Amino acid sequence: MRSRSPKFASTILLATLVGMITQPQSARADEDAVMSDAAVVAFLRDHCLECHNAQEAESGLDLSTFSQAADVRNSVTAWAKIAARVGERQMPPVGSSMPETETRAQFVRWIHNTLSKQLCDDGITAGQPVIRRMNRTEYANTVRDLLGIPINAGHALPNDGAGGEGFDNAAETLFISPIYAEKYLQAAKSAIGHALKDPADRKRIIVASPNEERTPNQAARLVLSNFLSRAFRRPVSGSEIDEYAALFDQAFAVDDSYDSAVEFALVAAMVSPKFIFLYEQPSKPGEQTLVSHHEMASRLSYFLWASMPDQELMQLADQEKLHDVDVLTTQVKRMLRSEVDSRGLRRDSKVRGFASSFIEQWLGTRALGREFKPDTSVAPRYDSELEGGMKYEPIFFFEDLLSDNRSLLNLIDSDFTYVNRRLASHYGVRGEFREQPKRVELKKSDRRGGLLGMGAVLAVSSLPHRTSPVLRGKWILDTMLGTPPPPPPADVPALNEAPSASGEFTSLRKQMEAHRSDPQCASCHNMMDPLGFGLENYDVLGSYRTQNRGKPIDTSGTLPDGTQFDGSDELKLWLLKRKDQFVRNLTRKILGYSLGRSLTGEDSCAIDSIVETLAKDNYHTQTLIVEIVKSVPFRYKQVAPPTN
Amino acid sequence: MARCLPQLSHWRHPLTRRSLLRGTGAALALPWLEAMRSTKTRASEKDDHSSSDAPTRMAALFVPNGVRQDQWTPEKTGRDYELSPTLQSLEKLKDQLLVLTNLWNQGSKIGDGHYVKTSGFLTCTTINKSLGIDLNCNGLSMDQVAANHSGKETPIPSLELGIDPVTTGVDTNVGYTRVYGSHIAWSGPTSPLARELNPRMVFERLFRASHPKKATLKRDRLLLDRVLTDAQELKLKLGSSDRQRMDEYLQSVRSIEKRLQNQQAGGIKNWRPLVELNPKDRPEDDAPDQYPEKVQLMLDMIALAFQTDTTRVCTFMFGNAVSGRNFSFLEGVTGGHHDTSHHQNNEDKLRQYQLINMWHIEQYAYLLEKLARMQEHEGTVLDNSMILYGSGLRDGNSHNPHNLPILVAGSGGGKIATGQHLQYGRDTPLANLYAGMLSAFGAKTSTFADSTEILPGMLT
Repeated sequence: MRSRSPKFASTILLATLVGMITQPQSARADEDAVMSDAAVVAFLRDHCLECHNAQEAESGLDLSTFSQAADVRNSVTAWAKIAARVGERQMPPVGSSMPETETRAQFVRWIHNTLSKQLCDDGITAGQPVIRRMNRTEYANTVRDLLGIPINAGHALPNDGAGGEGFDNAAETLFISPIYAEKYLQAAKSAIGHALKDPADRKRIIVASPNEERTPNQAARLVLSNFLSRAFRRPVSGSEIDEYAALFDQAFAVDDSYDSAVEFALVAAMVSPKFIFLYEQPSKPGEQTLVSHHEMASRLSYFLWASMPDQELMQLADQEKLHDVDVLTTQVKRMLRSEVDSRGLRRDSKVRGFASSFIEQWLGTRALGREFKPDTSVAPRYDSELEGGMKYEPIFFFEDLLSDNRSLLNLIDSDFTYVNRRLASHYGVRGEFREQPKRVELKKSDRRGGLLGMGAVLAVSSLPHRTSPVLRGKWILDTMLGTPPPPPPADVPALNEAPSASGEFTSLRKQMEAHRSDPQCASCHNMMDPLGFGLENYDVLGSYRTQNRGKPIDTSGTLPDGTQFDGSDELKLWLLKRKDQFVRNLTRKILGYSLGRSLTGEDSCAIDSIVETLAKDNYHTQTLIVEIVKSVPFRYKQVAPPTN
Repeated sequence: MARCLPQLSHWRHPLTRRSLLRGTGAALALPWLEAMRSTKTRASEKDDHSSSDAPTRMAALFVPNGVRQDQWTPEKTGRDYELSPTLQSLEKLKDQLLVLTNLWNQGSKIGDGHYVKTSGFLTCTTINKSLGIDLNCNGLSMDQVAANHSGKETPIPSLELGIDPVTTGVDTNVGYTRVYGSHIAWSGPTSPLARELNPRMVFERLFRASHPKKATLKRDRLLLDRVLTDAQELKLKLGSSDRQRMDEYLQSVRSIEKRLQNQQAGGIKNWRPLVELNPKDRPEDDAPDQYPEKVQLMLDMIALAFQTDTTRVCTFMFGNAVSGRNFSFLEGVTGGHHDTSHHQNNEDKLRQYQLINMWHIEQYAYLLEKLARMQEHEGTVLDNSMILYGSGLRDGNSHNPHNLPILVAGSGGGKIATGQHLQYGRDTPLANLYAGMLSAFGAKTSTFADSTEILPGMLT
């Protein structure tokens, strides 16, 4: 078992829940009335203590001992959760004593200010140095770029689970099972074998051969010094070249073939942990250190390309320029570029490595065709071209935002999207399309735009055979706003959304209304259900519809704060009003992805400052990426100081 | 009922260029002839050593989302019982079957409805609630206890198989990473074992393990030595904070190192199976990605692995926790698995739930029958195996880990008292069954996790 210092463990605790601080940084401004500690005690007494007291401690939360702001320091996680629940009107539950809207807002603001003070006043601190293996996607991309051949060398590797902020590049869940070494060995043999078959590719890798002027060993050294520094993503030492040259010699001694002995040494390099692992030199414990220039090159390339650094990044690292913020900014913009060809199609781009890994996991659309397959009874014409169009729409859309530096708010609503031929006809969008997704301007009558108009999103938040307003509402709260509702209590039967035996479907809304009459259910369903009903004009695969089973669809709803809306357009307007919360959540997700780890309380201070900059800059997508790259957690590392 | 499955031969295609280019195909395309030849010579060389004392094998098959409880448990107990409606397809195997009632997994009671009941299914522990950091199952799974015992005897210590890729994302709703719902085999508290999801790759792995290429053996060992030295060097360089992953990689490299070493020394075992792995049993690369066919191919791989004694321990997951797999390939089923399991006593949902349960049992029967047709010396491979079948929760609607649906088939070489329905007192530890299975396996232990004794009556 892994032992962790208490200090580190408490950091982790912060990590999990501080993410629930969802209010914008701007709310910290002093223009708002600030609650006194006494007023907070009174709020708790009037609205919380009936259940969260010393005796009952509902959900394990006892608030009876709270007396002053300093008490928050001891239970940061709990307080972050309280802010989220009260802010979302999930607490206090329906039927209990409700605070005035303004008092509620003040209370939530007080928590945010207090937490932020506790965590950020000492400055932003960096996380541990990176040490993790490449994930399956990164491995495949890296082998592709290292050897310069278009193969998927990762196809036989096990796929990776996700940790932290929900991504499969999180260090903590990149396990190594016994099966891995064998897989890497097979994959390396096979990939190098293919690369050396083509004379042009071969020449790029085997850069030297023995001749009158150089012995086989000397030639092999030339090949190795070039290859090893690329494979290990840093300059290699003389002794490292010696070691691999010795391996070449051993093979050459047995079998008198230069090519096969070199190939053998290259395979070894690709099975070495120096290739398989992304790792950084530890800092002195407790000392915040800039990551080295070569470490920075890898941080950048695995963030924005899900692959190894290219020659330009390596050169800048060799020249020690990657601590320069202006250089970093220029590099980020270069790395995000994706070309559009004369037919208006986005060419293959390296930034797609980031766009697809990030967006598919953030939105959950990777499940399409995997965990989620629509039922043929509701999707008789579902085929691979439609599935491809659906899956690629959010990826190309996000790539467009990144490359063309558009506003992040396009994710909430936009006047364009990306469709292929099948998806265009699925949406009823006019134009000339082929199999590859292409940008299309949307008219109001298309009823698309933003994530909530995308088939893939609408599908993965449905059940295979019908839509589920509950799941869609939950998707909005969790994925877009970063406030996942808690699981239903164990002793409450799940909502029966199924149509009755006679096929009557009108009862769905009524059933859910009945369900919400139970205050235990109401506190979350009052929010989830109306949000989900707002999207009922879209069927399981996101086709627009005005009726369901012969009955007109009612998309109206009232949110707990009294906001009334009808249909997806008004739903998007409501989301735009919460843009700060949305952008904060997105920033958190991208920062988590960029660092390949769970975020900590300290990281949320970096998020605060990034979100502030973004708000001043009209939410430009490249600004978000540049600010992340310039942030302390991205540029620094720190080994946790020793305890006691 | 399952639709008629197409004959495998209908979609067997010759090896295409594409499949070669994909990679592993190329590594295996050529050595067939050489492999066949070496098989023959080695089989005759080793005949003297063959013994009728066949080894015991153990597999665990995991089904997500529980069962329809009113159709699962047989009414009568003892030897003279009748199979319940769900278990009907096991009729022919009744003598080889042990039905167990009232076992529970106390460790998985708290937490959430699915993840703790999946990762904890074979560990009988309470896993840490975690989105990633501090992920820990607080034990190891019983199959790995078995593998630790038998691993040295076979080319591969254990096989971990599944169908669904690790479910994406973390479940912010309940606060668990979905890694937990995608693994049942744990070789240590923080080491869930990655599963092989492609039947063809399973075959290739079995084949590589049992048919080393002599030409590359020596070279591969040199290579692995280099890799091991690099790993040691990094481990020193990286400081103490996170050596664990490097240790895991070291172990992973050492395990093939060891295998090559054994192969170079001419094999490891005294016992030799009657059957060698046959290249013609290799699943096609271009097989259609249909769930029922894929499940059967995976079960075929378990049977082959056991028959050829390439491994003696295997786990298989029909699906990940909370699997929403669409079972509409079954006539009369329209919904996803998880949604259907939340039946709320709705009659139509219960009927569909039952059909899904029955399909799973049919697959179990398919594997058992296949093993029962594999003769080895005086008996069959099934006789020498223990094939556990079960779910981490009973009723999908209520998620409770009481009275779990648990079956064992095969007598583990005459050690398990099959042919009965054994009913225990309420909340008898599931670990008591595992303790008995491990003891029958010869793992030299009679305890496991929270076990209190070996289930009375389960052993002969």
